[in-house]
Amino acid sequence: MTVQDAASQTALAELLLAMADDEFVLGFWDSEWTGIAPILEEDVAMSSVSQDEIGHAKALYELLASLSGEAADEIAFGRAPGAYRHAALMNHPRTDWAFSIARRYLYETADAVRLESLAGSSHEPLANLVRKMRREETYHLLHFDLWLRRLTEGGPESRDRLIGALRDLWTDAQAVFAPLDGEEALVAGGIMPDRLETLRRRWLDRVVPRFAELGLPPMPAAPAPAPDGRRSHGPDFEWLHGEFTMVAASEAGASW
Amino acid sequence: MRYPVAVNETERAEAFYAHVAGGGKVEPDDWMPDDYRAAVLKFVEMHANSELMGVLPEREWILRAPTLRRKLALTSKVQDEVGHAQLLYRVAEDLGKSREQMLTDLLAGKTKFHNVFHYPTRSWADVGIIAWLVDAAAIVSQQALRDSSYAPYARTMKKICWEESVHIMHGRDVVLTMMNGTDAQRALVQDALDRWWGPLMQMHGPPTKPETDRDLIWKIKAKGNEQLRQEFLSIYVPRIRELGLVIPDPALAYDEAAGRWSYTEPDWDELRSVVTGHGPMSQERLEFRRTHRAQTQWVRDAIIGPVGAAA
Amino acid sequence: MGAKDKVWEVFRQEAEGDPMIHGGSVRAPDEELATHYAREFYGRRQESERLWIVPRDTIIELDDPDLLKPPFDRSFKRPGGFLIKHKLEAARIRAGATGAEPIEELGE
Repeated sequence: MTVQDAASQTALAELLLAMADDEFVLGFWDSEWTGIAPILEEDVAMSSVSQDEIGHAKALYELLASLSGEAADEIAFGRAPGAYRHAALMNHPRTDWAFSIARRYLYETADAVRLESLAGSSHEPLANLVRKMRREETYHLLHFDLWLRRLTEGGPESRDRLIGALRDLWTDAQAVFAPLDGEEALVAGGIMPDRLETLRRRWLDRVVPRFAELGLPPMPAAPAPAPDGRRSHGPDFEWLHGEFTMVAASEAGASW
Repeated sequence: MRYPVAVNETERAEAFYAHVAGGGKVEPDDWMPDDYRAAVLKFVEMHANSELMGVLPEREWILRAPTLRRKLALTSKVQDEVGHAQLLYRVAEDLGKSREQMLTDLLAGKTKFHNVFHYPTRSWADVGIIAWLVDAAAIVSQQALRDSSYAPYARTMKKICWEESVHIMHGRDVVLTMMNGTDAQRALVQDALDRWWGPLMQMHGPPTKPETDRDLIWKIKAKGNEQLRQEFLSIYVPRIRELGLVIPDPALAYDEAAGRWSYTEPDWDELRSVVTGHGPMSQERLEFRRTHRAQTQWVRDAIIGPVGAAA
Repeated sequence: MGAKDKVWEVFRQEAEGDPMIHGGSVRAPDEELATHYAREFYGRRQESERLWIVPRDTIIELDDPDLLKPPFDRSFKRPGGFLIKHKLEAARIRAGATGAEPIEELGE
């Protein structure tokens, strides 16, 4: 099913941008671990995951570009900070290893729920791309569930750091399911088979029991995400934006 | 290789050295003279240290890569360097020195890493020049090491050479794109070349005497320093010049009669000073690594358990 | 090495049907991480069909030349140990007097 009307088209663009920006920004933060991760072997693993995210972002920007006519790199690198639509979860810098693992666990599990649903999207190009992405995400889910367990079981220090990080990130993690303009149109057209709030509940039904299973203390109540969960970014993202636009901005219109 | 039981240490060592001089190979569990073991360990350890420290100059630019494709390629390249460090530390570790001890010695300034990784990167053009020419100079050395007498090192070098060939393509692509771009971009590349040429010429080290170069005699390495530099120049000088870049050495010229490149003598004092930790970025980068290592010690303790020696 | 850390050897298969060949080793505290790391070092470029991950301490090495390269002639155990070229030529020449075609070319 192709996108029939302007409202759906705009709403689809919002969805793709949100997904692409999530992958793009997280891929950037975690790529910082390249060269300085705690263990040499893990350094290579974390870098692969970050590259996968950038690859997914690239594919999503390209899909968006096919709708909007702009080039993928333009979309990725050419906006002011306020125009990015990543979830609040991605506003934080990499911080420490526990923080990065906690964020990764929360994001990967949330993204898995999102992708599962979108694999049945009525918009074929999106459904096809999502199916490809899910195959790569298999490794991510395995890897970060492994690390969640290891940090939980690794002794009091790793456990405390992990719990602290999960708590710090819990509210912002809900923003992966923050409202999108035009959600109604997307759901009505089957482009989004499930509403965002449904997906969020499904995600909570998975992670909350998983935490309990591992003996982690319960998280605070999970409020519905704020309406600006994808629109308010802060100084850390502004710094990151400055970094990733620096070279491109140095010589407008040049090829790199 | 196994030796008849009834020989003394001296004869055993002589037989060993004859074996390696004749192209014979050595595996980790083989008997080897202490000198040989120490020489291989030192050589491989410095190589591993260089890969690990070599990550840092390029790492800064991962966040700044200007397109999606460049971001992927650069992250992948730096990831490969970390991978190479792992491969080489494994080879060295199997000779009897733990990874943790090697990192401790590196960060305490007791062991060295190659000169080129002690210099700053100033622009995206540096990223291209490093990936192209520094990796090219390294690959010239590394290809010669694929036949090392120490077999695990030789096998590792084959894998590394294959992986490095991708990096050189990436670097050359970055440089070419800029050289075909704007005047400002071309100026950035020329500026980067001006700054990196000196360290590149020093990279293979001063010429050594074959009769006293034990690494050469024992075939740990296959070619002398000067031979490697000449190879690098023969392949890359034409490729640099064909882009319209000017190599900042007016004395650089191929001497047909002698069959070799002549050039301004590299500053060997600078090389000595830099590799002993006095390069422009030496201390800052070591401190950066020390900080990050300390900050992540809790992870290693949790996952792999504490180590006997201080971290 | 960390108290829980071990060395794991990784074997890889280049293409379907190929033998497993030794790639290198990784350090990891257990099978799970060893598997992830083996994938990273010997599979992240899509270069392998299959990997085997084996704790180094389970590998038994044999390199005794008395067992593997004993001194007496054993060429009768390998195809190259039988040199039939001249005998075959002679036999063909003798049989060729009757006009028979050679059945095979013996590659040397």
